[in-house]
Amino acid sequence: MAAGVFDGLKVLDLSEDVAGSFCARLLADYGADVLKVEPPAGSAMRRVGPFYHDDPHPEKSLFFLILNLNKKGITLNLHTAAGQNILHRLAAHVDLVIESYRPGHLDNLGIGYAALSARNPRLVMTSITPFGQSGPYRDYAGAEIVSYAMGMVMGISGVQGRPPLKHGGFQAQYQGGLFAAGATAMALFAQDRQGVGQHVDVSITECVASTMMATQTIYPFLGGSQIRRPDGTMWENPMPCKDGWIIVQAGGGASWEDIADFFQAPELLEPRFADRAQRVRNGPAMDAVVLDAIKDREKWELFPKAAEKRMLFGLVQTPLELAECPQLQSRDFYKDAEHPVIGRIKVPAELFKMSASPYQLRMAAPTLGQHNAEIYVDGLGYDPATWAVMRQLDVV
Amino acid sequence: MTSLPLDGIRVLDSTYVFALPYTGGQLADLGADVIKIEGPGRPDITRGGGLYGTFPDNDPGEDWWNRPSTYQLLNRGKRSLALDMSQEDGREIFRELVKVSDVVMENFTPRVMRRWGLDYPNLRRLRPDIIMVSNTGYGHGDGPYSGYPAQATTQEGTHGHCWVTGYPNDEPSKAGRSFVDFLSTWSAMLAIGAALRYRNRTGKGQWVDIGMYQAGVMFLSEYLMDAIANGRAGERIGNRHPHRAPQGAYPAAGDDQWITLSVGDNDEWQELCRLMARPDLASDTQLSTLAGRQTHHDAIDDAIAQWTRQTDKYELMHLLQAHGIAAGPVLSGREVHFDPHYRSRNFLERVEYPEERGIGPRFLMGRPYSLSKTPLQIRGPAPTFGQDNIHLLEALLGQPPARVAAWAEQSIISSIPTTGEPSPTLDPQELVQRGQLAEWDPDYKARLGI
Repeated sequence: MAAGVFDGLKVLDLSEDVAGSFCARLLADYGADVLKVEPPAGSAMRRVGPFYHDDPHPEKSLFFLILNLNKKGITLNLHTAAGQNILHRLAAHVDLVIESYRPGHLDNLGIGYAALSARNPRLVMTSITPFGQSGPYRDYAGAEIVSYAMGMVMGISGVQGRPPLKHGGFQAQYQGGLFAAGATAMALFAQDRQGVGQHVDVSITECVASTMMATQTIYPFLGGSQIRRPDGTMWENPMPCKDGWIIVQAGGGASWEDIADFFQAPELLEPRFADRAQRVRNGPAMDAVVLDAIKDREKWELFPKAAEKRMLFGLVQTPLELAECPQLQSRDFYKDAEHPVIGRIKVPAELFKMSASPYQLRMAAPTLGQHNAEIYVDGLGYDPATWAVMRQLDVV
Repeated sequence: MTSLPLDGIRVLDSTYVFALPYTGGQLADLGADVIKIEGPGRPDITRGGGLYGTFPDNDPGEDWWNRPSTYQLLNRGKRSLALDMSQEDGREIFRELVKVSDVVMENFTPRVMRRWGLDYPNLRRLRPDIIMVSNTGYGHGDGPYSGYPAQATTQEGTHGHCWVTGYPNDEPSKAGRSFVDFLSTWSAMLAIGAALRYRNRTGKGQWVDIGMYQAGVMFLSEYLMDAIANGRAGERIGNRHPHRAPQGAYPAAGDDQWITLSVGDNDEWQELCRLMARPDLASDTQLSTLAGRQTHHDAIDDAIAQWTRQTDKYELMHLLQAHGIAAGPVLSGREVHFDPHYRSRNFLERVEYPEERGIGPRFLMGRPYSLSKTPLQIRGPAPTFGQDNIHLLEALLGQPPARVAAWAEQSIISSIPTTGEPSPTLDPQELVQRGQLAEWDPDYKARLGI
């Protein structure tokens, strides 16, 4: 098996949130040696569900599991002088530190970028926070919904007359993690090629905002601001069929005649729907035709037929369906992890394929302090007696 | 002065629409020489305006294909080559370019590059250490949907996001715009940075195969785990949070103005009750636990809305944040341009255009990160269609001018698109009346200082 693309890259992951953990996991997925540093009581994510078989056990958080695949784990109390010394020792020999504490917090502990890079000038440090390391809101508390609100997405999501709507789940956090991994990869290339170490400052709110490329540009090109759509079921949005919902868009390889034929709805060929401008003007009438045409049809019948017509067509899948999806199977998206407490479990694994340096699931997430002995005794050379004292003093 | 991370790196960007074109723009910010390649008869769809961006002041001008706003954002800092790869001479030029490039990006359907003999095994023969990035809807391979056409708008349902997005007890919904495109944008950033570093260490190139569908699914990982381990389908909870309460978007003073807030624990809840002057809620022991606040979320929402309704959304944010409660206003496309935080971080960059293009200056989003040693900025405007045809072929590839002229004659290269038309424009006041724009500032240029 070929080595991963980040093979040999040494990373400390100090992050406690979804974004930082996901960023570090993506690097671990592609071969980096990532060491997850948790407080002695364990990462806060261990207390976040869903849990395996709904058992709220700290080793059974499935959220912690999928955010920390392929990492090793130690416990270390960063709020003690001894813990800070140990972190300095660890950081002297790594290429990258990832963290998500409030701006300035690690500096106050003497283990911020300035302090760590003084000993290790090649170090890249990536900080992922709700508002970034600078600016008037940098110390403000962040939340998924706040990044969505201030990142423009909510202003155009949902319908008029009802509150703005956020995406389900933790999309801002995942975006923060993925985008940070992209920025970090560039900094790591510069480190490798130019010998430059530096601080990468990622704002989760700006990650969300950066996806609003059409919305942002309307103002400086026209003076307007986009708004949420009118209420009601609409073309290009989920439309109910017999057993679920579908989404259709004009364009792709399908002509309007193909689309009318697909829906078995000759009314769509009437002049009032003849071009895009007409369809916008007569949108509600067109929506009514389409809704009537699909009310007795099933989504899995429609999906391959739409593909035959080269239509841009989607159906609304549930997580249960996605867990069994044959396309994802063909792409090796899922892998089986062997977890010491949970046992064998299927996990979403591979984001994309790299031919020379493929993805490997090398291990599940670490149990709390699983690699303490390996890192502290074998790695840093503490003798067992000292290590025992460190444990008593709540350092590890 | 440290040089930019991608100084000296050349990228052939043969991609269309949003996802990888945006990657190309980001790579240009990082110092790469990014060459955007389009067919003379296949201009990028973002050049048409309409859904894909507005023309400056709604004016398509003489060269409409060079003017839409979103095109400017995605393609900043690139060079442009309009090259017909459906002709053998066009493909031969492309092959010559591959030999002097580091990265090739493309988003054709899986069969096109193979048919043209430009798939990875062939590119690798031209340049053994080439890094090729392919972005498709469902990924390459022999999966049942690999040949299906796809675009982000319809995929948002297929990759599951609509199922978990929507008002509680209501239909599935979309959010944002073309969401999964940006997951590909940044997957490609990660892959390219990683592959360049790997090549620097090993001398080896490789092929990166991105499928938007699985990127979208990946972002539902905790839902997938709940489905796999516990058989749960996942539900729509609107603006609420599985582990925090209350959380939501609440009306603020003004028309369609909103403040969001999220309460993490009982201490924050007590603080919120104090701010709302609601000692009755503070002392209600049922509400001192997360479960209790979740059970009574509707009633709490009413109380919060009653309190927020009269106050400015920014004032609410500062007040709540001063008391340790996560809060922020719903911002419009207009408001981000004037927000002091975005401004202080220079998130929106002023981009100058040559006088003859009749566009600029305009503001465009930069990037959601900064590098401390190598400050980044948008390095130039998006190119006009085919603006670098002659220079690239003569100076970069060393082709004689007579041959280049012949290619232009045969429409192998072109400086205007041979197909397409500008989307019709609607008067901004009419768009406001029709509810398609929230607001319109006729004096926006003065406000922005452009």
